[in-house]
This record gives sequence, structure tokens and C-alpha cells, in this order.
Amino acid sequence: MIRGAACIALAALAAGCGGGGKDVEARLTVVVPDNNIREEGSECSGARPFRAIHRGTAFTIADGSGAVVAEGELPAGTAADADPSIDWESELIPTVCTFELELDLPDRGRYRLVLPEALPLEFERRLLGDEPLRLVLSG
Amino acid sequence: MTRRLRTGRRLLLPLTFLVLAGCGGDEEVAGGASDLPGPVPAHVRYAEPPSTSLPAPTFRGELLDGTPVEGRELWAERPHLVVFTASYCERCREIHRAAAEAADSFGGAAGLLGVVGEDDRSGAADYADELELGHPVALADERTWRNYAAREPGLVVLVAKDRVVRGWPRGANATELERALGLLIER
Repeated sequence: MIRGAACIALAALAAGCGGGGKDVEARLTVVVPDNNIREEGSECSGARPFRAIHRGTAFTIADGSGAVVAEGELPAGTAADADPSIDWESELIPTVCTFELELDLPDRGRYRLVLPEALPLEFERRLLGDEPLRLVLSG
Repeated sequence: MTRRLRTGRRLLLPLTFLVLAGCGGDEEVAGGASDLPGPVPAHVRYAEPPSTSLPAPTFRGELLDGTPVEGRELWAERPHLVVFTASYCERCREIHRAAAEAADSFGGAAGLLGVVGEDDRSGAADYADELELGHPVALADERTWRNYAAREPGLVVLVAKDRVVRGWPRGANATELERALGLLIER
């Protein structure tokens, strides 16, 4: 959903000046494994200790050399079943909070998504495809 | 009703200041001291909280205009709904409005305190302006959030006479909150 102007501009700048060729469409799902009790599908933000992760939180994406190639803000999170193999038999269930990102990135081998108060999330170009790539945060 | 009163005050106050103080510049801050509740209405009687309810954790913070606030003083006077919220939380707006509707239905016999994180100060000012509920909003530190088991914005807690009577981790509608308050307030 996020295809922020700032993000596109920065990505385009990095790719355009570097002569790196076509952009890569990246669909990412940032997963906050907070196991908080919520209704599946409801709006969420990271529960403690992930309280810094919420709608409007700024993120950056750097390439393998450390150069920032994109930046933006998280959209609202959506609660997803923490363990779909279990029939919880309740509307309120253990959930994780997920944030969907859709970005154009300059073509690089490796990337690093950086969010506040969390370890960076590394991912590789070869893993990007039609399905969103799930990136699970740790504190 | 609160909103009408508040709007009226907003219209009257600037005029009053202009006449009496000559462009003095004092302004009401939404969620600040001017939104603290007035005296408890006469002839209101309160029931004791259930004996099984837990002691309310210490609550110290400051309102959005910098006024210090002590939770114990608020809920010693009247039962309070405490809404842990955040400027970035869309669904919290509905929860906060529902809590205000429930508290307002008791005509001053119940209170409402919104609570935001200390790092949400500027966003909270816009949030309070947007909601314009006519009730105070306090900034509280991380320890306070933890002590009230507020892992995520949207928690509503009913506190009376320094006891936590009940909590709704994902909020509740006005009817449910009014019913819970009604068990503590004899009208």
C-alpha cells in the first residue's frame, strides 16, 4: 500500500544516478511477534515491547553498501492469527501485528530494513516475488 | 452536552480575555487543566468497589498543558474511566469517544482520563484537539503503562476509590461502560 512519494523519489535517485537499471518491486510484510490478544483483522500497533512500531513510524531501507535507497512511514497494522494451526474458538485470539509495504527499490543483491528500537531486518533480492516477503522483527 | 459547553467556552473565553486582559494570550489547551472535572454533584452516592478488585497502581503524569496530575486524587473523588490511547491509533478514537459518552451520562459523577505515552506529546495535542471531548488527557511514562498492563493503546480501565474495578483490553462500547459505572454510582 505504501508507495510513498519520498520512498519513490529516494529509490529513483539512487537507481538513476547509479546507473543500476530497473527498479525492483518489493512487497514486504513486517511482522511484529507480540502475541497480543486481538480480533483477527483489527487495526493494531506493536504491543510492548514493540511499542515504537505503529502507523507513522519512519523506516529506511539500505542496500548492501549501507546507502539508504528508500524511506517511508508504516501504514496502520493489521492483526493476524499468531498460530493458524490452532482453532482458538474465540473472537479474541493471540495475534501478531503485521504491516504491509509495497515499494520500488533499486536493483541490489541485499537490503536492510531499519525500524526504531528493533534489530535491522536483512533480506535478499532473490527472495522478492509476487507473494509478500515476511520479515519478522525481534527486539 | 460537554462538547456544546466547551464550544461555548471557546467562543466566550477569547472575548473575555480581550476585554479584561487586552490580548493577554492565555489559551485553553484541549485535554489540559480546564478539562479537569468540577466538584462532584451534590447528593451523589458511590458504592464500594468489589472486595476482589486490585489496588490501583500509582499514577503520576502531567496533562497536555503541563499541569501535574495525581491519579489517586482523581479517583478518590469519583470513579474514572482511564483510556490508554495514542495519536496514531485510529480505533482508539472511537473507544475514547465511547468512554466520554459513558462518563458524561452521569453528569459529572464519573470522570474520564485519557492517557498517552510521553513520546506522543505533539501528536496527543492534535488528537485532543480533534476529539474535543472536554476531559483531561495525561502523558504517562512507560512504567505507568506497564503497571496498568497497557501493552497496546486501546485499553480502558475503570478505577474507583484507588481500586481497579475492571479493564477492557480492546476497549468497549458506551453502553457497556455506562453499565459498569452504574454499578458504582447511585443516582
